[in-house]
Amino acid sequence: MSDVILEGRDLKKYYPVTKGLLQRTIGWVRAIDGISFTIERGKTLSLVGESGAGKTTAAKAVLLLERLTSGEILFEDRDIYKFSKSQMKAEYRPRVQSVQQNPWSSMNPRMRVRDIIAEPLVVNTKQTKEQIRKRVLELLEQVGLAPNQADYYPHEFSGGQRQRIAVARALALNPSLVVLDEPVSALDVSIRAQIMNLLKDLQNQFNLSYLVIAHNLATVRFMSHSVAIMYLGQIVEYGDAEELFQHPLHPYTRALISASMLTLPEDAEQGVEQIILKGEMPSPLNPPPGCRFHTRCSETQDICSKEVPEMKEYGKQHVRCHHVVYR
Amino acid sequence: MSEIVLKVEDLHTSFFTRSGEFRAVDGVSFHVREAETFGLVGESACGKTVTGLSILRLLPEPAGKIVSGKITLDGTNILELSKKEMRAYRGAMISMILQDPMTSLNPVYTVGNQIAEPVRQHQRIQDKNMVEEKVISALRLLRIPAPERRLQDYPFQMSGGMRQRVVGSIAMSCYPRLLIADEPTTALDATIQAQYIALFKDVQKETDVAIIFITHDFGVVANMCHRVGVMYAGKIVETAATSTIFKAPRHPYTNALIHSVPRLDRKDDRLYSIEGQPPSLLNLPPGCRFAPRCPDVMDICNEQQPQEVEISEGHSVSCWKVK
Repeated sequence: MSDVILEGRDLKKYYPVTKGLLQRTIGWVRAIDGISFTIERGKTLSLVGESGAGKTTAAKAVLLLERLTSGEILFEDRDIYKFSKSQMKAEYRPRVQSVQQNPWSSMNPRMRVRDIIAEPLVVNTKQTKEQIRKRVLELLEQVGLAPNQADYYPHEFSGGQRQRIAVARALALNPSLVVLDEPVSALDVSIRAQIMNLLKDLQNQFNLSYLVIAHNLATVRFMSHSVAIMYLGQIVEYGDAEELFQHPLHPYTRALISASMLTLPEDAEQGVEQIILKGEMPSPLNPPPGCRFHTRCSETQDICSKEVPEMKEYGKQHVRCHHVVYR
Repeated sequence: MSEIVLKVEDLHTSFFTRSGEFRAVDGVSFHVREAETFGLVGESACGKTVTGLSILRLLPEPAGKIVSGKITLDGTNILELSKKEMRAYRGAMISMILQDPMTSLNPVYTVGNQIAEPVRQHQRIQDKNMVEEKVISALRLLRIPAPERRLQDYPFQMSGGMRQRVVGSIAMSCYPRLLIADEPTTALDATIQAQYIALFKDVQKETDVAIIFITHDFGVVANMCHRVGVMYAGKIVETAATSTIFKAPRHPYTNALIHSVPRLDRKDDRLYSIEGQPPSLLNLPPGCRFAPRCPDVMDICNEQQPQEVEISEGHSVSCWKVK
């Protein structure tokens, strides 16, 4: 049996839409609508989707920055919503850390790097100043920065170096799970490779689990062990990363992969065609009936607009679609 | 071969600031033909946007200046035009699409109004019905559904993809000879990005417009561009047809860039990464600009700048290793 660190069960988050003086609720934005996933120890799960798919809401739920409408989050088999305040502070929050997308806004510009990295230690532990100082230097070394850079301010660093500082801060408390929200999308191409390699090395070194939020599929393939493709608040395909990239089963996954594929001019001449989806993602305020993807799907049938497809298992993958062709 | 629309020769653009001269573009030469897309690829601060702004002569003044060079559009050196003549060129002969449609559109005017502006200015059409007709045909060119009803919409009523199409309609409303697209798809989602690129290929077929496509995304380059120039620290280090750039890059920087991007069609265990960072434009190395990061560096690289060498037709490289 694999070792599951975190499990999300049927997570839902609805935001009310209010109107008028009395703030009457006139509808709900279903940001995430019944998603389930598991993250194994030492492995990476990526949530992939376009803007508005609900991937960031899911990450916020895991970080307890949003209270869910319903659903259970189990951390090492215990329901975190049943934790007491002190349990939460001692047993959950220090062990689940995050790295944000933009290293320009995720750090206080008036704090030195030394203090930025030390802050989680000061807040959460009772270590002495000397212990903290040692730990900060150790962390800097682990992320590939020099010890003398501890006294610099964030503006003295490039984007890639700042993202290294953010990683060091996230690792300060020896977490088990790190939520990486678009960790490289704000960085330049040549710097992205450095950070992605670093994240992989740290994962192997400390047996970290990652929950990655991303929209770039190539990044996801490089980083992940398993992948969940999200569309309009639901997971449409979920499973082993390699299986999913080699044999995508949901039409949306296929379109997404096709849209991100390198198609050289001569490939196009040889008839390699890109799948171009029509239209745009509908509003989560008023999702289409039946399969949520049917309005843009090229393979849509009558049943798709009438019945909501259930999540079904095909080998290592789970797919929410009425007409999966499985080998 | 079709006619050359734009020719840029040895362009030098600098920013003069209190801390010194930033050589943002330092000797860039390339050309674009009719119905051709030329990609300018590179990382932040390599000078690709400043090249685009230099062609439009829209550099932030007084700091930014074109120091030397020649930019010829259909045989006219546009650097010699007066300000007034240049104004007549912008929007009519050369137009530009910027990255973020939310900041390039005016939030308080309807989209119909904003597309009508270049039509009235450049085509000197005052008749209301005729202007409207032109606006609708521009919206139709960019495949905006039900254009007649969209005229009265404001930008906030549209999705990101639709807004970027409106920006495209404004740029194409006077059927320019040259379109400069600066990261037009970066703010869009993957599937919408694919739509937009397919759309622009169609628009180019219909209008024969020459396009300079500025981007940092190699996936977009492969799908959209016919030829590519790779920029590093103010210089084009390699120019070639798109498939040559991907299959047989000769400059170590091009090679490193292509290999540092993770691939969707295979699983990599480790990415090739270029150590260090691009040099400061204030304090450029005396030799090849890539020398401090180059894996194949030789003595001469640190001393002298390499000259551009044409190794086969249409494939030029500036590197001491390439002869």
